[in-house]
Amino acid sequence: MSNFFSKAEVTSSGRPVFLRNEVECHLLSGVDFEPEDHLQFPPLKSGILILTTHRLLWLPSSSATAPTSASAIPLAAISHIFSSKKSLKSVFHSPRIRFQVLVSPDGRVFDPGSGSDYSSGSGSRSVVVTAVIRGKGDCDGFLVKFCDSWRAKAWESNETSGSGSGSGSGLASGSGAGTGTGGGLYSSDGSVRMVGVAGILRKEQEMWESTDKSLQDAFQDLNALMSKAKEMVTLAEKMRQKLLSGTSSQTSGNNDEDMGSKEEMQDWLLSVGIISPVTKESAGALYHQQLSRQLADFVRTPLERAGGMINLIDAYCLFNRARGTELISPDDMLKACSLWEKFDVPVMLRKFDSGVMVIQNKSHSDEEVFARIKSLATKPEALRNGVSPTDAAMTLGIAPAMAKEHLLTAESKGLLCRDISPDGFRFYINLFPEIDPCNIYFVKDFGICSTWIKAVSTSG
Amino acid sequence: MRRRPGIGGLQTAAAARNQYRVLGENVAKLRTDLMKEQLATFRSQLEEFARKHKNDIRKNPSFRSQFHEMCAKVGVDPLASNKGFWAELLGIGDFYYELGVQIVEICLATRPLNGGLIDLQELCKLLRQKRKHDREAVSEDDCLRAISKLKTLGSGFEVISAGKKKLVRSVPTELNKDHNAILELAQAQGYVTVDEVEKQLSWTHGHAIDALDTLLDEGLVMVDDGHRDGKRRYWFPCVSSISSFGADG
Repeated sequence: MSNFFSKAEVTSSGRPVFLRNEVECHLLSGVDFEPEDHLQFPPLKSGILILTTHRLLWLPSSSATAPTSASAIPLAAISHIFSSKKSLKSVFHSPRIRFQVLVSPDGRVFDPGSGSDYSSGSGSRSVVVTAVIRGKGDCDGFLVKFCDSWRAKAWESNETSGSGSGSGSGLASGSGAGTGTGGGLYSSDGSVRMVGVAGILRKEQEMWESTDKSLQDAFQDLNALMSKAKEMVTLAEKMRQKLLSGTSSQTSGNNDEDMGSKEEMQDWLLSVGIISPVTKESAGALYHQQLSRQLADFVRTPLERAGGMINLIDAYCLFNRARGTELISPDDMLKACSLWEKFDVPVMLRKFDSGVMVIQNKSHSDEEVFARIKSLATKPEALRNGVSPTDAAMTLGIAPAMAKEHLLTAESKGLLCRDISPDGFRFYINLFPEIDPCNIYFVKDFGICSTWIKAVSTSG
Repeated sequence: MRRRPGIGGLQTAAAARNQYRVLGENVAKLRTDLMKEQLATFRSQLEEFARKHKNDIRKNPSFRSQFHEMCAKVGVDPLASNKGFWAELLGIGDFYYELGVQIVEICLATRPLNGGLIDLQELCKLLRQKRKHDREAVSEDDCLRAISKLKTLGSGFEVISAGKKKLVRSVPTELNKDHNAILELAQAQGYVTVDEVEKQLSWTHGHAIDALDTLLDEGLVMVDDGHRDGKRRYWFPCVSSISSFGADG
């Protein structure tokens, strides 16, 4: 065995002994090492090439008869890695990796651990070594990892901590299984671990580079998609015009199939993402019709629980939560609710003056609610302190926001009077109708006024 | 077509009209088929796009917002309906509708504290806390889009700008220009006094009191009479940073 290479220690089962913090990165089988000219060392044939963070190891395969022991080239000794040139010849040859190794004056591969200063120009020469990969390994991937490891210079950070990265120091744990210990630049799977600020910056850089590239592709694709979408939009506009004007020109006999195709068209427009108007005749997209019925069924239970009236937004949240996936959009919800008036369902959509929209039972009657509010407002407690939306909510069994709407509506009907204070809104029973404008101090014996006076005066 | 007088002429004219009508219907039918075909092509193109970039859309907020802008320019609304191709193939619908539901929940939970007006950044922060198990990043732009969709359900969901901040309103209270001006003023210290309002906005005393009282009614402002100088301070939970505690969950 030539004494060109450094010696690499091997365990009894043939695995290399790793140095402290050295981690295996890649492995290729069926590799020959050939020098540029045969004087430096006889070629090593058909071995296993192991790339670690610190060294390049060549292990003889077990089939080799010659007692060649494992060899190592410290990465520190490598001065240049040639990029693979793809030429016509390279198609026929096995892939090759060429790199330049510094050689110390005595003809051996330079050993950085030996303490000599190679940059002192003591006549160091370099030799080009070629690794021919005859096996089936991933040569390009190996090359990339090789360059990464070489550039990462893992041995330098170890030298500063005084552990020494020279070959054969024998400090490595006997496991040789390639697991790196804590600390150091590399994590156990051989990828460059990110430590310190440099690590963070590197991680950011890598993330940006990979995102950047995929984003570029994404934007190109997005542009192509959008131009297609534009075509769809122009086509859809024509369709929509037809929809809007279609009914007037058709004779009554064709109406059924027109309905069908109109619904289809609505569906298509919806698929592309164009909100189309629900025309008076058509019932909108088939999808919305189905949704509308489904919603009517669903909303029955929450309505009962909420006392007959539920805020549209609350219903939306409940419905979507129940669905779990394939949630509906707010537009879907609104459309579906608006379609109720075309179908025979027991619920309806109602819009208050304040803009709040609620779903309520068709059987719900405002009168009944007012009667309950009135009875609430004429209780002695309420005569003294008024009714706040929360009180009403508790008594009526509905949400406070709904209760407020009811109280406001009752007020507009003349049933209640509002009292605004830093506490908020409070409502009192309206006594004005009972007061005779001609005789304002006269209190009738019946009626709420007297009850009120009694209640108020007893509070002291 | 030569016009013939008399009954024959009328009949010919009627026949011609009929023929044109039938032709027109056929042309329309052709266009329908064409539309179907176009739709199928579009759908497969979108599928291809989704296959490659669905993840990018979910993971990258800036790509998402760019996507929305382009859709808007073209004239499509990817969030219009759950049934749309966009929602189906890109999964973009679920993301935004789920976001909408979560926003409603947060607004509801913080309403006792801030009266239905919450700072957008505060909302985003609470949202991220709520979603810390999901690995998808949520940007302010996403929140804005989700809220703009919620607007259609009534109940006053809206984003209003007051000065430098954006506030999300979740109650039907109408906020006019006066209220906005006071909100802007309140951002400096979290509260305003009547004197400040009068001075900075050049209002009369009555005007200031009226506006502040309306805000008080709606629960958007809290009164603080405890200061040594005896001046009443009106605190706005929505623009000051005191709203963060107690609103978790």
